[in-house]
Amino acid sequence: MRAHPAARFGELRLLFLVAALAVTGFVAVVATVNAEFRTAQVLVPLLFLALAAALHVVLVAVGFRGDQLLLPLAVALTAIGLILVERLAPRLLIQQLTWSIVAAGAFVAVLLIPRDLSVLARYKYTWALLGMLLLVAPLLPLVGTEINGARIWVRLGPALFEPWEAVKLLLVVFFAAYLEEYREVLSATPRRLGPFPVPPVPYLLPILLMWAIAMLVLVGEKDLGATLLFFGIFLAMLFLATGELFYTAIGLALLAVGSLLAYRAFPHVQARVDVWLAPFSPDLRFDQGYQMVQGLFSLGNGGLLGVGLGRGMAERIPVVWSDFVFDAFAEEAGFLGAAALLALYLLFFYRGMHIALRAPTAFLQLLAGGLSFILALQTLVIVAGNAKLIPLTGITLPFVAYGGSSLVTNFMLTAVLLRVSDITARVRGPG
Amino acid sequence: MEIAFPIVLWGVRILFLLLLYLFLFRSFAELHRAMRTDASDAQRPTTGLAYLVVERGHPAGPRTGDRLPLRTTSAIGRGPGNDIVLNDEAASAHHATISLVDGEWWVEDKGSTNGTLLGGARIGERERLGQGDVLAIGRVSLRFESA
Repeated sequence: MRAHPAARFGELRLLFLVAALAVTGFVAVVATVNAEFRTAQVLVPLLFLALAAALHVVLVAVGFRGDQLLLPLAVALTAIGLILVERLAPRLLIQQLTWSIVAAGAFVAVLLIPRDLSVLARYKYTWALLGMLLLVAPLLPLVGTEINGARIWVRLGPALFEPWEAVKLLLVVFFAAYLEEYREVLSATPRRLGPFPVPPVPYLLPILLMWAIAMLVLVGEKDLGATLLFFGIFLAMLFLATGELFYTAIGLALLAVGSLLAYRAFPHVQARVDVWLAPFSPDLRFDQGYQMVQGLFSLGNGGLLGVGLGRGMAERIPVVWSDFVFDAFAEEAGFLGAAALLALYLLFFYRGMHIALRAPTAFLQLLAGGLSFILALQTLVIVAGNAKLIPLTGITLPFVAYGGSSLVTNFMLTAVLLRVSDITARVRGPG
Repeated sequence: MEIAFPIVLWGVRILFLLLLYLFLFRSFAELHRAMRTDASDAQRPTTGLAYLVVERGHPAGPRTGDRLPLRTTSAIGRGPGNDIVLNDEAASAHHATISLVDGEWWVEDKGSTNGTLLGGARIGERERLGQGDVLAIGRVSLRFESA
């Protein structure tokens, strides 16, 4: 890193806007709900903004070059998240602030500690093993915990966390390193069987292995979302590395077959699909479909401008702060607010992919591309689930939904993208 | 006063939406600016390109006269995971790395058994590389050339 500081005015200007946005949002919620006044209502937004400023100062102080857009986007989304937590679950506000402090710590750690990102590539099998251990951890007795029918939690003392969140980062690192190592195979023309390319063994083997593991997760941990993300990341990165649509098609076909079998065999999968197809049916709407039905009412209630922050009825949705934040925000900020929120995610993804395209090595390209892709896929899956376009899954809306493990890993993801863009800026010469 | 409060509150809610869109708009502008500077960067020749030319090779590779391109960070050693693999028993599995930091190239010994020599002298932890410097790792010697 460069010793002397470099100004980041673009980032600073955007952060000022985020501060105005966060304060306005908090004022709107607090003034509307006006139950009893709590000190936390003033303290939390101020502390959070101080935190964002501190992150900016760190980036300036270490002479970080490269992207100035991702940090303001991440901070803005987290601020919207805090506003929604204050609105929907005030008792969790302090907890969420604590998590954002931990997330900021993780962000700085990723920025400063690994002096060289190629360390990530060199120990790839270590990361893969660690990822696998974390992935199966919820299935183990003693530490594994089942909540709301999904066995994706690990309890260590008082802390409860979703290992899946860390697994997705480890997987992207592993896939990037693995696919880069076999890049000679990649450049060779594949043998063809009629019109179809036959995948060489280094590709075919992991495709089958990943499929088997994804199915194990679906069956053992009863979580559709993790399965979809897990397999989706792999297929996307395979496509990024090879450009062969056919491999992706094989993967999707395998996923479809597996899902169909799972649907036939397991009642919890059937329940999710039934709720998706007909949440208003008489035997579901007050029972398993209740959450979905209330979510749809919220979404529909919003209109163009929304009913106004703090005035919605989203608290009727069970566990709205982690499962249905998108519907709650769409009700209170309206179609315009929801569209802007999605546009922020789109910007994040677009910037991430752009960083990936410019990165100097294949490993860094795959790493940045894969990380941007998970964020986009996660957003797509949960927003579509909330809008009843696809069956609902247990994935959280990145940065916005209440949840510590998710916030911490998403900030680490942002830090890695920033480092890739920093490396690119350095290689491309003094700018 | 009783009428004024709801109007102010309504104003605050609209302000929130306006600020959200202002932020979105400014973010787009920032993206546009970043992509424009990136594009002008791409016109400039990159300073990143450099090679190691093999002055004395090894029967098992690399061969004398080979030009090995360097990446931002290249790992050198006997292990198969290295960017530059030296099939020499005197080289350690993870022997050294060469990396580009702030437009300058540095060689770093990764705690190898037999050490890394730069211009005939064993290096400490890390050393700056200049045009034409000769590195010796095991019995292989490599000349550094930056483009």
